[in-house]
Amino acid sequence: MSTLEHAPEGAVEVDPDEVVDRLGDRVIGRDEHVNAPAVIIRPDEVVDTLTVMRDEFGFDLLSCVTAEQFPDRYESIYHLKQYADPTTEFSIVVPTDRDHPQSQSAASVYETANWHEREAYDLIGIEYQDHPDLKRILLPDTWTGHPLTDDYNQDKPQVVAYEAHENPLLDHTEGAESDTILLNMGPHHPATHGVLHLKVTLDGEQVADVEPDIGYLHRCEEQMCQQGTYRHQIMPYPDRWDYASAGLINEWAYARAAEDLAEIEVPEYAQVIRTMGAELSRMAAHFLALGTFVLDVYGEFNALSMYAIRDREKVQKILEDLTGQRLMFNYLRLGGVAWDIPEPREEFFENVKKFTDEELPASMDEVHDLLTDNEIFQLRCVGTGVLEREVAKQYGAGGPVARASGIDTDLRRDDPYGIYDQLDWEVITDDAGDVYSRVLVRVREVEQSAKIVRQCVDLLEDWPEDEREIQSNVPRTLKPDPDRRVYRAVEGAKGELGIYIRADGTDKPGRFKIRSPCFCNLSTLPEMAEGEFIPDLIASLGSIDIILGEVDR
Amino acid sequence: MGLPVTPLETVLLPERIVDALGLEGYGVLGEFVAGLLAAFLVANIMLIMTAVAGPWAKRKIRARFTDAIAVNRVGPFGLLIIVADAVRLLSKEIIIPEGVDRPAWELAPIIVALSALLGFAVIPMGSGIHVADPEVGAVFVFAVASLSSVGLVMGGYASNNKYSMLGGLRAVAQNIAYEIPLILIAVSVVVFAGTLRMSEIVAVQAEPLILVAGIAIPSWFAIVNPFAFFLFLIANLAEVGRNPFDTPEAPNEIIAGYQTEYSGVYFVLFYLGEFIHIFLGGAIIATFFLGGPAGPVLPGFVWFLIKIWAIFLLTQWARSAVPRVRIDQLLDIGWKGLLVLSFLNLILTALIVGVIAA
Amino acid sequence: MSSERIPDDVERTVQTKTRDARLGSGVDDRFNSRLRQAVGSSPFILTKFDKFMNWVRGSSMFMLQFGIACCSLEMIHALMIKHDVDRFGAGVPRASPRQADLIIVPGTIVSKFAPRMKRVYDQMPEPKFVVGMGSCTISGGPFQEGYNVVKGAEEVIPVDIHVPGCPPRPEALIYGIAKLQERVANGESSPVVVKPYELEQFGDLHRDEVIDQLADRIDEDSLAMRYNWGDSP
Repeated sequence: MSTLEHAPEGAVEVDPDEVVDRLGDRVIGRDEHVNAPAVIIRPDEVVDTLTVMRDEFGFDLLSCVTAEQFPDRYESIYHLKQYADPTTEFSIVVPTDRDHPQSQSAASVYETANWHEREAYDLIGIEYQDHPDLKRILLPDTWTGHPLTDDYNQDKPQVVAYEAHENPLLDHTEGAESDTILLNMGPHHPATHGVLHLKVTLDGEQVADVEPDIGYLHRCEEQMCQQGTYRHQIMPYPDRWDYASAGLINEWAYARAAEDLAEIEVPEYAQVIRTMGAELSRMAAHFLALGTFVLDVYGEFNALSMYAIRDREKVQKILEDLTGQRLMFNYLRLGGVAWDIPEPREEFFENVKKFTDEELPASMDEVHDLLTDNEIFQLRCVGTGVLEREVAKQYGAGGPVARASGIDTDLRRDDPYGIYDQLDWEVITDDAGDVYSRVLVRVREVEQSAKIVRQCVDLLEDWPEDEREIQSNVPRTLKPDPDRRVYRAVEGAKGELGIYIRADGTDKPGRFKIRSPCFCNLSTLPEMAEGEFIPDLIASLGSIDIILGEVDR
Repeated sequence: MGLPVTPLETVLLPERIVDALGLEGYGVLGEFVAGLLAAFLVANIMLIMTAVAGPWAKRKIRARFTDAIAVNRVGPFGLLIIVADAVRLLSKEIIIPEGVDRPAWELAPIIVALSALLGFAVIPMGSGIHVADPEVGAVFVFAVASLSSVGLVMGGYASNNKYSMLGGLRAVAQNIAYEIPLILIAVSVVVFAGTLRMSEIVAVQAEPLILVAGIAIPSWFAIVNPFAFFLFLIANLAEVGRNPFDTPEAPNEIIAGYQTEYSGVYFVLFYLGEFIHIFLGGAIIATFFLGGPAGPVLPGFVWFLIKIWAIFLLTQWARSAVPRVRIDQLLDIGWKGLLVLSFLNLILTALIVGVIAA
Repeated sequence: MSSERIPDDVERTVQTKTRDARLGSGVDDRFNSRLRQAVGSSPFILTKFDKFMNWVRGSSMFMLQFGIACCSLEMIHALMIKHDVDRFGAGVPRASPRQADLIIVPGTIVSKFAPRMKRVYDQMPEPKFVVGMGSCTISGGPFQEGYNVVKGAEEVIPVDIHVPGCPPRPEALIYGIAKLQERVANGESSPVVVKPYELEQFGDLHRDEVIDQLADRIDEDSLAMRYNWGDSP
């Protein structure tokens, strides 16, 4: 039944022994993570090792950099993947001294390491040498201490004087000679979709330089998850990462990682419900992306953004029927879902079918009429904010942003979970890499999601009544074996949403790290916007579709 | 040259007031008082229309386009929102930011509102409402309307805010780019009419063009020269700064541009100026292309209002449905598109008029 | 702001100032004028005028286009077709704080954003109103234990109405706004905070007792933005 026989083009087979041989004396040990083999290397050989991994073994995606603190050492883990085949994974573990946590920076090999290492420095305190710009990224510059370390005193008040914030422009006063002006866009600006701060250097109307400044919504999600128990207390938080209704996908990301960690099986029936819910979430998220993007390009209160929100409202209604909440679902459980399809089932399925078969095609026609076929819209969006394919890879872009740049990647197909591999759907890609293609990819993905939902409904309708098992048997308290580590990702609405968990033998994670797709996608913004006009900067930002809750976590 | 024009015996509003109040005996003083009263009346008509349009009609129209409802709790159909909004806006605190260029900052909104209001002085609104009818009426109305860009750049520059500055610069660039085509198209109308006097331009359009089934189609310039009408509509959208040409304001890019720092009364003046400007644009279109206050059955003034509200509706329609173009594209459209086309239009009109005259 | 209130206000410690301000006593006199104070009691015409002005302020509000976190999505929904808060005259979003009356705080406030939000609030002209949306603006909500999270919007700005929920449904937000409008129309709303630039202006005024008292009691430090999460509720 699978139509998704994806022959990974350009994927390189990797044998861990061969890697160890090739790396030679850089390696000081080997390890095995649940998801991938790992080698432990010396902290002064990071650049060489990663260059070899990238150039000779085909690892063109640095998924994530996880930093951890142990009683005797610090560790940075570089999770490597291949765009062509994300199941080929490799972890490079770099331990450093507890007293002087210094490690070589990987920013010269992978662009995306830049921001990831800044985050690791900010929260854990590992100093990356030769890093181009090692400063705090999520917390204010005045912050003292690194909050995810064991000796951090959380109760000590951190006082930030009002004067420190009095005039953010004071340090940037340009001389009379300067041809450029510095424009602070945000953190409160209608087009930043939340609380993002862009330091924009303008040459006339042209953008000479953009520097995103994030952290205005850093809600300590990793700390919250490390304080919660696997079984119950963590699940509500994923809903609040990508809060644009992609909640079920986020929950699935956690569930997938934790289920692999604790070796929990999920019943097939629950997988179907999960798949359906996740795709509904994706549709809601894409509708929001469309609505807010249109706001940026059209101006407030135009018809199309209203229509997009209207359709989103319909999806939310279905999700509310299914999960009991409009936005923060908390519906998935480890080993299944919280409850079955609501009774009467027929009515629920009727509603879903009415939406996917009648209402959605009509509103998609409307979108194409008003948006993608609109000549002024094309004038604005075609050829602006271009993100080249290779650049996108360097920055670790994912989701619609990567697919619009011609990278054929989708974890639902390449690293199948749920029942995606049994369904008939397509991965949408586009080669142009501009604002227009990003919007188009998203619009088409909504159609594909509807197709998946429709097939799930068919499966669920015919499911025999006595086999509707929604949860497998999971112990009340989960205590995975100590030092088991797993990095697992799902295809979020914005790209690869990965979770790294290290178990420490208790019922709470020792380290919980979130790899946020928006975080990586946002870092591509300077590549898109530099040299363009201010309106293009706004449009590019809108087309990346960032959710600050996920960027800052 | 041009079409034969029968000189109209127009009675202007001040003269009527002089008659009605018996001010003949007071000479110049009487005329001055009458002129003031007339201006007061016309300004108030426009202000009332703006008050209806700004807080209420705009929201209701937008709601219609987007399947929403908009204000309906305050008074019947939400009409009392007009009172509430106006009084509230006027009673808000005025914040004067540090470092603003005081006289310029305070003058800017006044200039914006005033320039648009002044234009109505020469517009014949029908039913005898016509304040002044100078021989150069058409020149006057464009000259005064473009004064507003001075106000915009003053406000943008004096606000000591980079967003305002960008907005002010955009406003000037845009107004220059679109003012020229606008005037060139108007010149083609003037060539047709053979006069700059507004009342005569209206009178020329009253001539029947052809007879269709016994009904005389008037020679409105929108019918005579639909090409020019279309161009003028586009240029006018840019002139009043509405979608797709609302770049000087662009709340999602530069946070309302030149108005960013204004609050309270000054903001009201800007807001007011914007709407009066839209109405002035509508009035110019009505006068130049739609036969001014002409129309069957209803009194002239009602027809005039219908025409300018139709133009207002058009701007709101565009606002709901059309994306905003980029500033460089906007200038391209203005300089490379509209300007060329309006020249073409002017030359063709001149040729045709010349042939007819010959 | 009446003269009796100010001294208490200044005496309070920094951390609890906004919270206590909310709890202030009785019907407040936020829109009071010097004229009224000079007359003493309120003559009939002023009472009627008050009623009218309260009705005006309660019936129409421009809101600030201000999104922070999850709740802002439900705020968008409240603005858009189905819920359409514009029915109540509160649905005109303004991008610039200078033209807004109402700020809805839709989400978690963290250390980096708190001073910025205060700035935005300070930039709004009086009279201004605040609706705290969601649990995070009440107490920090699910993130209360976070090292970086400010425990509620009231640590930073005074809040008129809290709408609980995580996130509140759009209906709940609309109910909150309607309640706020009702309160404003009845003349009840929380007191105004003194802005730094207003304090500076006292220097130019004719010095009277109140000003002297104020000048003694205002301590430069109390104008500092700080948040102390050790001490938070």
